[in-house]
Amino acid sequence: MGMPIVVDVRDESVDDAVLDRMFEWFRRVDATFSTYKDDSEISRLGRGELALEETDPDVRLVLERCEQLREETRGYFDAHAAGMLDPSGLVKGWSVDRAVEFLHQADLRNFAVSAGGDMRVSGRAVPELCWRVGIQHPRERREVAAVVEANDLAIATSGAYARGDHVVDPHTGRPPAGVLSVTVVGPELATADAYATAAFAMGPHAGPRWTARLRGYEAMTICADETVLTTARFPAA
Amino acid sequence: MRKAVMTFLTAAVIAMPVVDATAAVKATAKKKVVIQRFTGSSAQVDRWGTVQVAIVVRKTTTTTGTKKRVTRRITAVTVPVYPNHTSRSSYISANAVPILRSEALQAQSARIDLVSGATDLSNAFVQSLQSAILKAKRA
Repeated sequence: MGMPIVVDVRDESVDDAVLDRMFEWFRRVDATFSTYKDDSEISRLGRGELALEETDPDVRLVLERCEQLREETRGYFDAHAAGMLDPSGLVKGWSVDRAVEFLHQADLRNFAVSAGGDMRVSGRAVPELCWRVGIQHPRERREVAAVVEANDLAIATSGAYARGDHVVDPHTGRPPAGVLSVTVVGPELATADAYATAAFAMGPHAGPRWTARLRGYEAMTICADETVLTTARFPAA
Repeated sequence: MRKAVMTFLTAAVIAMPVVDATAAVKATAKKKVVIQRFTGSSAQVDRWGTVQVAIVVRKTTTTTGTKKRVTRRITAVTVPVYPNHTSRSSYISANAVPILRSEALQAQSARIDLVSGATDLSNAFVQSLQSAILKAKRA
Protein backbone atom coordinates (compact mmCIF):
# COMPACT_ATOMS: atom_id res chain seq x y z
CA MET A 1 0.00 0.00 0.00
CA GLY A 2 3.04 2.22 0.34
CA MET A 3 2.08 4.22 3.36
CA PRO A 4 3.81 4.70 6.67
CA ILE A 5 2.24 2.93 9.61
CA VAL A 6 2.87 4.47 12.98
CA VAL A 7 2.31 2.60 16.23
CA ASP A 8 2.42 4.67 19.37
CA VAL A 9 2.33 2.52 22.52
CA ARG A 10 1.82 4.32 25.81
CA ASP A 11 1.77 1.27 28.10
CA GLU A 12 4.56 1.08 30.66
CA SER A 13 6.34 -1.77 28.97
CA VAL A 14 6.12 -3.27 25.54
CA ASP A 15 7.84 -6.33 24.18
CA ASP A 16 9.60 -5.46 20.91
CA ALA A 17 8.77 -8.94 19.63
CA VAL A 18 5.06 -8.04 19.78
CA LEU A 19 5.62 -4.99 17.61
CA ASP A 20 7.81 -6.97 15.23
CA ARG A 21 5.04 -9.52 14.78
CA MET A 22 2.54 -6.74 14.19
CA PHE A 23 4.66 -5.17 11.47
CA GLU A 24 5.14 -8.63 9.99
CA TRP A 25 1.33 -8.75 9.69
CA PHE A 26 1.28 -5.46 7.76
CA ARG A 27 4.00 -6.72 5.42
CA ARG A 28 1.94 -9.85 4.77
CA VAL A 29 -1.16 -7.77 4.05
CA ASP A 30 0.83 -5.66 1.60
CA ALA A 31 2.21 -8.74 -0.17
CA THR A 32 -1.31 -10.21 -0.51
CA PHE A 33 -3.35 -7.11 -1.34
CA SER A 34 -1.04 -4.62 -3.04
CA THR A 35 -2.21 -3.50 -6.47
CA TYR A 36 1.33 -2.26 -7.10
CA LYS A 37 2.77 -5.77 -6.86
CA ASP A 38 2.21 -7.93 -9.91
CA ASP A 39 2.45 -11.15 -7.90
CA SER A 40 0.00 -10.19 -5.13
CA GLU A 41 -3.16 -12.29 -4.93
CA ILE A 42 -5.26 -9.21 -5.69
CA SER A 43 -3.28 -8.45 -8.87
CA ARG A 44 -3.48 -12.08 -10.00
CA LEU A 45 -7.19 -12.22 -9.17
CA GLY A 46 -7.75 -8.99 -11.11
CA ARG A 47 -5.97 -10.41 -14.15
CA GLY A 48 -8.00 -13.60 -13.94
CA GLU A 49 -4.96 -15.77 -13.20
CA LEU A 50 -6.29 -16.84 -9.82
CA ALA A 51 -9.79 -18.12 -9.02
CA LEU A 52 -11.58 -16.67 -6.01
CA GLU A 53 -11.69 -20.13 -4.37
CA GLU A 54 -7.90 -20.36 -4.61
CA THR A 55 -7.29 -17.14 -2.71
CA ASP A 56 -6.37 -16.64 0.92
CA PRO A 57 -9.49 -16.70 3.16
CA ASP A 58 -8.66 -13.12 4.15
CA VAL A 59 -8.97 -12.05 0.50
CA ARG A 60 -12.47 -13.51 0.31
CA LEU A 61 -13.37 -11.93 3.64
CA VAL A 62 -12.22 -8.49 2.45
CA LEU A 63 -13.98 -8.75 -0.91
CA GLU A 64 -17.20 -9.86 0.79
CA ARG A 65 -17.04 -6.88 3.12
CA CYS A 66 -16.34 -4.59 0.12
CA GLU A 67 -19.51 -5.89 -1.50
CA GLN A 68 -21.58 -5.33 1.68
CA LEU A 69 -20.23 -1.80 1.92
CA ARG A 70 -20.96 -1.13 -1.73
CA GLU A 71 -24.60 -1.96 -1.06
CA GLU A 72 -24.70 -0.05 2.24
CA THR A 73 -23.27 3.06 0.57
CA ARG A 74 -25.56 2.85 -2.49
CA GLY A 75 -22.54 2.16 -4.67
CA TYR A 76 -20.49 5.11 -3.51
CA PHE A 77 -17.87 2.85 -1.94
CA ASP A 78 -16.80 0.58 -4.77
CA ALA A 79 -13.68 -1.59 -4.91
CA HIS A 80 -13.99 -1.38 -8.70
CA ALA A 81 -14.39 2.42 -8.82
CA ALA A 82 -11.05 2.88 -10.57
CA GLY A 83 -11.99 0.43 -13.30
CA MET A 84 -9.98 -2.41 -11.77
CA LEU A 85 -10.16 -4.54 -8.64
CA ASP A 86 -8.70 -2.40 -5.88
CA PRO A 87 -9.92 -3.10 -2.33
CA SER A 88 -7.17 -0.87 -0.80
CA GLY A 89 -9.86 1.46 0.56
CA LEU A 90 -10.95 -1.29 2.89
CA VAL A 91 -7.69 -3.19 3.36
CA LYS A 92 -5.94 -0.37 5.16
CA GLY A 93 -8.57 -0.02 7.87
CA TRP A 94 -9.19 -3.74 8.09
CA SER A 95 -5.49 -4.50 8.62
CA VAL A 96 -5.30 -1.82 11.33
CA ASP A 97 -8.39 -3.30 13.04
CA ARG A 98 -6.68 -6.71 13.03
CA ALA A 99 -3.48 -5.20 14.42
CA VAL A 100 -5.47 -3.62 17.24
CA GLU A 101 -6.98 -7.01 18.12
CA PHE A 102 -3.52 -8.48 18.09
CA LEU A 103 -2.14 -5.79 20.41
CA HIS A 104 -5.08 -6.29 22.78
CA GLN A 105 -4.34 -10.01 22.84
CA ALA A 106 -0.76 -9.16 23.75
CA ASP A 107 -2.19 -7.31 26.80
CA LEU A 108 -1.44 -3.85 25.50
CA ARG A 109 -4.16 -1.37 26.41
CA ASN A 110 -3.01 2.16 25.63
CA PHE A 111 -1.85 2.74 22.10
CA ALA A 112 -2.64 4.22 18.70
CA VAL A 113 -2.14 2.63 15.29
CA SER A 114 -2.14 5.09 12.43
CA ALA A 115 -1.92 4.34 8.72
CA GLY A 116 -1.74 7.25 6.31
CA GLY A 117 -3.82 9.66 8.38
CA ASP A 118 -6.44 7.12 9.51
CA MET A 119 -6.18 5.49 12.90
CA ARG A 120 -7.43 3.49 15.83
CA VAL A 121 -6.78 4.76 19.32
CA SER A 122 -7.09 2.57 22.38
CA GLY A 123 -7.13 3.40 26.07
CA ARG A 124 -5.44 6.61 27.09
CA ALA A 125 -2.58 8.71 25.79
CA VAL A 126 -1.38 9.32 29.34
CA PRO A 127 -3.04 8.35 32.63
CA GLU A 128 -6.14 10.48 33.31
CA LEU A 129 -6.27 11.67 29.70
CA CYS A 130 -7.94 10.38 26.61
CA TRP A 131 -6.46 10.57 23.15
CA ARG A 132 -6.81 13.88 21.37
CA VAL A 133 -6.82 13.51 17.61
CA GLY A 134 -6.65 16.61 15.45
CA ILE A 135 -8.64 16.69 12.23
CA GLN A 136 -6.45 18.34 9.67
CA HIS A 137 -7.64 21.71 8.41
CA PRO A 138 -8.09 21.20 4.67
CA ARG A 139 -6.89 24.68 3.75
CA GLU A 140 -4.46 25.57 6.54
CA ARG A 141 -2.36 22.44 6.46
CA ARG A 142 -0.47 23.25 9.61
CA GLU A 143 -3.64 23.73 11.60
CA VAL A 144 -6.35 21.42 12.74
CA ALA A 145 -10.02 22.18 12.12
CA ALA A 146 -11.32 20.17 15.07
CA VAL A 147 -10.12 17.93 17.87
CA VAL A 148 -11.70 14.56 18.63
CA GLU A 149 -11.39 13.22 22.16
CA ALA A 150 -11.70 9.47 22.62
CA ASN A 151 -10.52 6.42 24.49
CA ASP A 152 -11.34 3.69 21.98
CA LEU A 153 -12.18 4.86 18.52
CA ALA A 154 -11.43 4.60 14.82
CA ILE A 155 -10.97 7.90 12.98
CA ALA A 156 -10.84 8.12 9.19
CA THR A 157 -10.67 11.21 6.98
CA SER A 158 -11.29 11.31 3.26
CA GLY A 159 -10.55 14.43 1.27
CA ALA A 160 -9.41 15.87 -2.00
CA TYR A 161 -6.87 18.34 -0.69
CA ALA A 162 -3.97 15.97 -0.22
CA ARG A 163 -3.30 13.94 -3.32
CA GLY A 164 -5.41 15.75 -5.83
CA ASP A 165 -8.85 14.38 -6.57
CA HIS A 166 -8.23 10.73 -5.75
CA VAL A 167 -11.80 9.90 -4.75
CA VAL A 168 -14.26 9.75 -7.61
CA ASP A 169 -18.01 9.36 -7.61
CA PRO A 170 -18.39 5.88 -9.09
CA HIS A 171 -21.71 6.96 -10.62
CA THR A 172 -20.17 9.79 -12.64
CA GLY A 173 -16.46 8.88 -12.70
CA ARG A 174 -15.68 12.42 -11.60
CA PRO A 175 -14.45 13.80 -8.29
CA PRO A 176 -17.22 15.33 -6.18
CA ALA A 177 -17.41 19.12 -5.97
CA GLY A 178 -18.14 21.14 -2.89
CA VAL A 179 -16.64 18.97 -0.15
CA LEU A 180 -13.15 19.42 1.26
CA SER A 181 -13.10 16.49 3.64
CA VAL A 182 -15.25 13.99 5.50
CA THR A 183 -14.18 12.48 8.81
CA VAL A 184 -16.00 9.42 10.14
CA VAL A 185 -15.47 7.96 13.61
CA GLY A 186 -16.74 4.72 15.10
CA PRO A 187 -15.72 1.31 16.39
CA GLU A 188 -14.04 -0.13 13.26
CA LEU A 189 -11.54 1.62 11.05
CA ALA A 190 -12.39 -0.47 7.97
CA THR A 191 -16.02 0.67 8.12
CA ALA A 192 -15.23 4.26 9.15
CA ASP A 193 -12.81 4.59 6.23
CA ALA A 194 -15.27 3.18 3.70
CA TYR A 195 -18.05 5.43 5.01
CA ALA A 196 -15.77 8.49 4.82
CA THR A 197 -14.86 7.66 1.23
CA ALA A 198 -18.52 7.11 0.30
CA ALA A 199 -19.82 10.24 2.04
CA PHE A 200 -17.09 12.29 0.40
CA ALA A 201 -18.04 10.93 -3.02
CA MET A 202 -21.72 11.76 -2.36
CA GLY A 203 -20.94 15.47 -2.25
CA PRO A 204 -21.99 18.35 0.00
CA HIS A 205 -25.75 17.69 0.02
CA ALA A 206 -26.35 13.96 0.00
CA GLY A 207 -23.18 13.14 1.97
CA PRO A 208 -23.95 14.84 5.30
CA ARG A 209 -27.56 13.59 5.19
CA TRP A 210 -26.39 10.06 4.58
CA THR A 211 -23.90 10.19 7.46
CA ALA A 212 -26.61 11.44 9.81
CA ARG A 213 -28.39 8.10 9.67
CA LEU A 214 -25.37 5.84 10.19
CA ARG A 215 -25.59 3.56 13.20
CA GLY A 216 -22.64 3.63 15.57
CA TYR A 217 -20.69 6.04 13.39
CA GLU A 218 -20.53 9.84 13.53
CA ALA A 219 -19.28 12.19 10.86
CA MET A 220 -17.94 15.67 10.25
CA THR A 221 -18.09 17.15 6.74
CA ILE A 222 -16.09 20.24 5.79
CA CYS A 223 -17.72 21.90 2.79
CA ALA A 224 -15.98 24.09 0.22
CA ASP A 225 -17.96 27.10 1.45
CA GLU A 226 -16.22 26.52 4.83
CA THR A 227 -19.25 25.32 6.71
CA VAL A 228 -18.64 22.33 8.94
CA LEU A 229 -21.51 19.90 9.31
CA THR A 230 -21.38 17.38 12.15
CA THR A 231 -23.77 14.63 13.14
CA ALA A 232 -25.39 14.95 16.54
CA ARG A 233 -22.93 12.88 18.56
CA PHE A 234 -19.66 13.64 16.80
CA PRO A 235 -17.09 13.66 19.67
CA ALA A 236 -15.46 17.04 18.91
CA ALA A 237 -13.71 18.51 21.93
CA MET B 1 -33.75 26.57 -2.03
CA ARG B 2 -30.25 25.70 -1.04
CA LYS B 3 -30.16 29.06 0.64
CA ALA B 4 -33.18 28.17 2.74
CA VAL B 5 -31.51 24.99 3.95
CA MET B 6 -28.29 26.79 4.72
CA THR B 7 -30.19 29.46 6.58
CA PHE B 8 -31.72 26.76 8.68
CA LEU B 9 -28.39 25.12 9.30
CA THR B 10 -26.71 28.26 10.38
CA ALA B 11 -29.79 29.39 12.33
CA ALA B 12 -29.23 32.88 11.08
CA VAL B 13 -30.75 35.87 12.70
CA ILE B 14 -31.80 38.56 10.29
CA ALA B 15 -31.83 42.02 11.75
CA MET B 16 -32.98 44.87 9.61
CA PRO B 17 -33.60 48.38 10.89
CA VAL B 18 -36.47 50.12 9.15
CA VAL B 19 -37.07 53.84 9.18
CA ASP B 20 -40.71 54.77 9.13
CA ALA B 21 -41.52 58.44 9.38
CA THR B 22 -45.25 57.87 9.71
CA ALA B 23 -44.95 56.02 13.00
CA ALA B 24 -46.84 57.48 15.90
CA VAL B 25 -44.78 59.67 18.17
CA LYS B 26 -44.64 58.14 21.62
CA ALA B 27 -42.20 58.41 24.51
CA THR B 28 -42.23 54.72 25.42
CA ALA B 29 -41.18 51.76 23.26
CA LYS B 30 -43.96 49.75 21.72
CA LYS B 31 -43.47 46.18 20.59
CA LYS B 32 -45.38 44.32 17.95
CA VAL B 33 -44.75 40.66 17.26
CA VAL B 34 -45.85 38.85 14.12
CA ILE B 35 -45.23 35.17 13.61
CA GLN B 36 -45.40 33.93 10.05
CA ARG B 37 -44.60 30.77 8.15
CA PHE B 38 -42.73 30.90 4.84
CA THR B 39 -42.36 28.04 2.40
CA GLY B 40 -39.39 27.81 0.09
CA SER B 41 -39.59 26.66 -3.50
CA SER B 42 -39.04 22.98 -4.08
CA ALA B 43 -35.64 21.87 -5.31
CA GLN B 44 -34.11 18.78 -6.77
CA VAL B 45 -31.88 16.79 -4.39
CA ASP B 46 -29.48 14.84 -6.59
CA ARG B 47 -31.53 12.08 -8.11
CA TRP B 48 -33.38 11.25 -4.94
CA GLY B 49 -36.33 13.58 -5.37
CA THR B 50 -37.30 17.07 -4.37
CA VAL B 51 -37.11 18.84 -1.07
CA GLN B 52 -38.96 21.83 0.26
CA VAL B 53 -38.33 23.71 3.48
CA ALA B 54 -40.64 25.92 5.48
CA ILE B 55 -39.53 28.33 8.15
CA VAL B 56 -41.42 30.10 10.89
CA VAL B 57 -40.24 33.65 11.42
CA ARG B 58 -40.93 35.78 14.45
CA LYS B 59 -40.90 39.43 13.45
CA THR B 60 -40.59 41.94 16.22
CA THR B 61 -41.23 45.59 15.49
CA THR B 62 -40.11 47.94 18.23
CA THR B 63 -41.29 51.51 17.98
CA THR B 64 -39.62 54.17 20.07
CA GLY B 65 -40.86 57.65 19.25
CA THR B 66 -40.51 57.94 15.47
CA LYS B 67 -37.90 55.19 15.24
CA LYS B 68 -38.80 51.67 14.24
CA ARG B 69 -36.59 48.65 14.58
CA VAL B 70 -37.52 45.33 13.02
CA THR B 71 -35.89 42.06 14.02
CA ARG B 72 -36.62 38.74 12.38
CA ARG B 73 -35.68 35.46 13.94
CA ILE B 74 -36.17 31.95 12.57
CA THR B 75 -37.96 30.02 15.28
CA ALA B 76 -38.71 26.77 13.52
CA VAL B 77 -37.78 24.89 10.41
CA THR B 78 -39.81 22.11 8.89
CA VAL B 79 -39.32 20.03 5.78
CA PRO B 80 -42.82 19.45 4.39
CA VAL B 81 -41.51 17.90 1.19
CA TYR B 82 -38.47 15.68 1.19
CA PRO B 83 -37.21 12.98 -1.15
CA ASN B 84 -39.37 9.94 -0.51
CA HIS B 85 -39.50 7.99 -3.70
CA THR B 86 -38.28 5.03 -1.68
CA SER B 87 -39.00 4.34 1.96
CA ARG B 88 -35.30 4.32 2.57
CA SER B 89 -34.55 7.79 1.30
CA SER B 90 -37.62 9.00 3.15
CA TYR B 91 -36.10 7.60 6.33
CA ILE B 92 -32.79 9.26 5.50
CA SER B 93 -34.33 12.68 4.93
CA ALA B 94 -36.65 12.60 7.89
CA ASN B 95 -33.82 11.74 10.24
CA ALA B 96 -30.92 13.50 8.69
CA VAL B 97 -32.08 17.04 8.24
CA PRO B 98 -32.82 17.98 11.85
CA ILE B 99 -29.76 16.44 13.47
CA LEU B 100 -26.91 17.93 11.50
CA ARG B 101 -25.13 20.73 13.30
CA SER B 102 -23.42 23.47 11.38
CA GLU B 103 -20.58 25.78 12.25
CA ALA B 104 -17.95 27.77 10.43
CA LEU B 105 -14.60 26.27 9.57
CA GLN B 106 -11.81 27.60 11.73
CA ALA B 107 -8.25 26.73 12.57
CA GLN B 108 -7.48 25.55 16.08
CA SER B 109 -4.34 25.08 18.04
CA ALA B 110 -4.55 22.55 20.83
CA ARG B 111 -2.71 19.69 22.47
CA ILE B 112 -3.03 16.81 20.06
CA ASP B 113 -1.60 13.30 20.02
CA LEU B 114 -2.25 12.44 16.38
CA VAL B 115 -3.63 14.03 13.24
CA SER B 116 -6.24 12.54 10.93
CA GLY B 117 -6.16 13.78 7.35
CA ALA B 118 -6.73 12.68 3.79
CA THR B 119 -4.42 9.91 2.67
CA ASP B 120 -1.41 11.28 0.90
CA LEU B 121 1.99 9.78 0.44
CA SER B 122 3.49 13.25 0.15
CA ASN B 123 1.36 14.67 2.90
CA ALA B 124 4.32 15.94 4.81
CA PHE B 125 2.21 17.63 7.41
CA VAL B 126 0.47 14.61 8.87
CA GLN B 127 3.40 12.28 8.70
CA SER B 128 6.05 14.65 9.90
CA LEU B 129 3.88 15.93 12.69
CA GLN B 130 3.11 12.41 13.82
CA SER B 131 6.73 11.41 13.78
CA ALA B 132 7.69 14.61 15.57
CA ILE B 133 5.08 13.86 18.23
CA LEU B 134 6.45 10.35 18.61
CA LYS B 135 9.94 11.73 18.95
CA ALA B 136 8.85 14.32 21.46
CA LYS B 137 7.10 11.68 23.56
CA ARG B 138 10.23 9.59 23.63
CA ALA B 139 12.62 12.42 24.37
